[in-house]
Amino acid sequence: MRQLLTKMHAVARLTLRQVRHERGRTVFVVLSIALAVLAVTLLASVGLGVLQTGEERFDRAGQDVWITADGVELTETGGIENPITDSHRLAADLERRDDVKTASPLAFHGVYVGTGPDDLELVTGLGVPNTHGDLSLESGDGFSEGDSHYANGTYDGPMSHEILIDPQTADRFDVDVGDTLYVGASRSSATEREFEVVGISDAYSQFLGTSTVTMPLSELQTVTGTTGTDRATYVTVTTAADADRAAVSDALQQSYPEYDVRTSEEQFKSLLSEYLLVLASGATLVVLALIAGIALTVNTLVLMAIQQRKELAALRAIGLSRGFLAGIVGGQGLILGLIGGLLGLLATPAFAFGLDHVAARVVGFEGLLRTPPEVYVGGLVIAVGIGTLGAIVAGWRVARDARVDTLHV
Amino acid sequence: MEPSSVAVGCERVTHEYGTGSTVSRTVTALRDVSFEVATGEVVGLVGPSGSGKSTALHIIGGLLEPNNGTVDVLGTDLTALSGAKRTRLRRDHIGFVFQQFHLLPALSARDNVALPLIERGVSRRERQRRAAELLEQVGLDDRMDHLPSELSGGEQQRVAIARALVADPEVVLADEPTGELDTGTGARVLELLVDVADERTVLIATHDERAMAVTDRVLRLLDGEMRQAGQFSDEQ
Repeated sequence: MRQLLTKMHAVARLTLRQVRHERGRTVFVVLSIALAVLAVTLLASVGLGVLQTGEERFDRAGQDVWITADGVELTETGGIENPITDSHRLAADLERRDDVKTASPLAFHGVYVGTGPDDLELVTGLGVPNTHGDLSLESGDGFSEGDSHYANGTYDGPMSHEILIDPQTADRFDVDVGDTLYVGASRSSATEREFEVVGISDAYSQFLGTSTVTMPLSELQTVTGTTGTDRATYVTVTTAADADRAAVSDALQQSYPEYDVRTSEEQFKSLLSEYLLVLASGATLVVLALIAGIALTVNTLVLMAIQQRKELAALRAIGLSRGFLAGIVGGQGLILGLIGGLLGLLATPAFAFGLDHVAARVVGFEGLLRTPPEVYVGGLVIAVGIGTLGAIVAGWRVARDARVDTLHV
Repeated sequence: MEPSSVAVGCERVTHEYGTGSTVSRTVTALRDVSFEVATGEVVGLVGPSGSGKSTALHIIGGLLEPNNGTVDVLGTDLTALSGAKRTRLRRDHIGFVFQQFHLLPALSARDNVALPLIERGVSRRERQRRAAELLEQVGLDDRMDHLPSELSGGEQQRVAIARALVADPEVVLADEPTGELDTGTGARVLELLVDVADERTVLIATHDERAMAVTDRVLRLLDGEMRQAGQFSDEQ
């Protein structure tokens, strides 16, 4: 036992001397491992963030049950197919039930928005019955009238000409609350209708992941010429206080078999299943990041071991065992993996913050990169665990191949 | 280890490089080489580059396994031992001196000399004491804490000699120990090696025939074959 401790102490001393003496190599290996860990943590953060962000958006929407019909797909005009007809009547029917507190039809349609005829852009238009009570507005007060234009299906009520926009659209057109925007289903019709900006909020754009302008549902239907069928994409339902959302969902499905009724969790999963390719690509990226991280870490440490092959060959020639030599290289792997790993983990929050901002600008989602403790643990396991193991194996193999020809090179 | 008047014996030893399945061409480094070295004898293994003398030395040291023949070191047939047992025999009974010194650049002269004692489980204090003792014997008592990079070539080779002897081996194998040194320094290093080795068996592989003045006997290798043997003085 004492001999073993003596040997282990000697291995530790030798390892530290090697690490301290070869500073250039140490810095290179540490930086390589740090980069490998950073690649793993950032990509894993994206993967986790995609799932968590999606779930949170649904939670934030505050809706318990989602009703739609057939598949909801993007249309060529940038909107989403609106499969539900007579949506106001359906919502009114639903609200008469005891287990339903509110029912709101939502419609999506691509609309042209701009400050002038030459400055129009196609964005997603969202029609809602009124400003949701818990909608967070950066500025403005939201809709004053709500869906009054509907007027029991006659569409002859007064149009409020009010619109909510997201911060990106506000920046793009340099408008603020009280300013005017043109909105229309086509470039030519857009300049015929002026809407006043009554609020700026990223709630809807965050939910959809794209620039969004929101207006009362009946006014969107009028602008896009869909009043005849009163189309909507979804009717969202909040259940009564004491009702179980799954039970309500089941009951609604029985009452309305022509529609697809889902709880918010089911709806989220349903949407995910429609983006299987995207998810598979994301998962593949995460797996590749893990493999690349492991490969880079192990490769760096193998190179480090190969660089020391002459020294290891000499040590073997003077009678030191393969186990001892593997211990020296493995010890270096442990130390360098630990330092490199911690460096990578320390850099992760800053890089995640920066990438998150880039992602928010590009795809519209904030908080897309998530760095829960599991991400850090995974990075450290790769750097220290895999790194040390790789270094030990490399040391063992290099010691095995450390022969005469090595000494003569 | 059994006492024997023959410290090292090679019997019809043949070794080829490149006999692996991936290499199509083979080079015969040693062919049917036989010789014996008595205990306490200092023997020179002479020949030009590529004659097989380093290969012979590494086979005797258990670093290479011959393709054919038997190698006896201190009464033990090396060819019958596993790799681990050969390593143990080398650790306990053989000291190596290399042409390029092969000192660890991160360690001081004293720590380099102490290295072979680690696997024997010798305490650090005792390792340091014995290393210092050896360094004194090779005249480096004032350079013990210097790194190899702070030492001249001759001093580095003296450190390597001290390292080869620190575990008190019965056999010392020196592979081109003067190859990296100028003639004067090389001669002094060889004299020191033989002097410090005392009663040990020493085999020195070299192509520098002038350095053979310190040996009791010469074995001459050419193209992997033993050509002649005799007293160094016989060859003058």
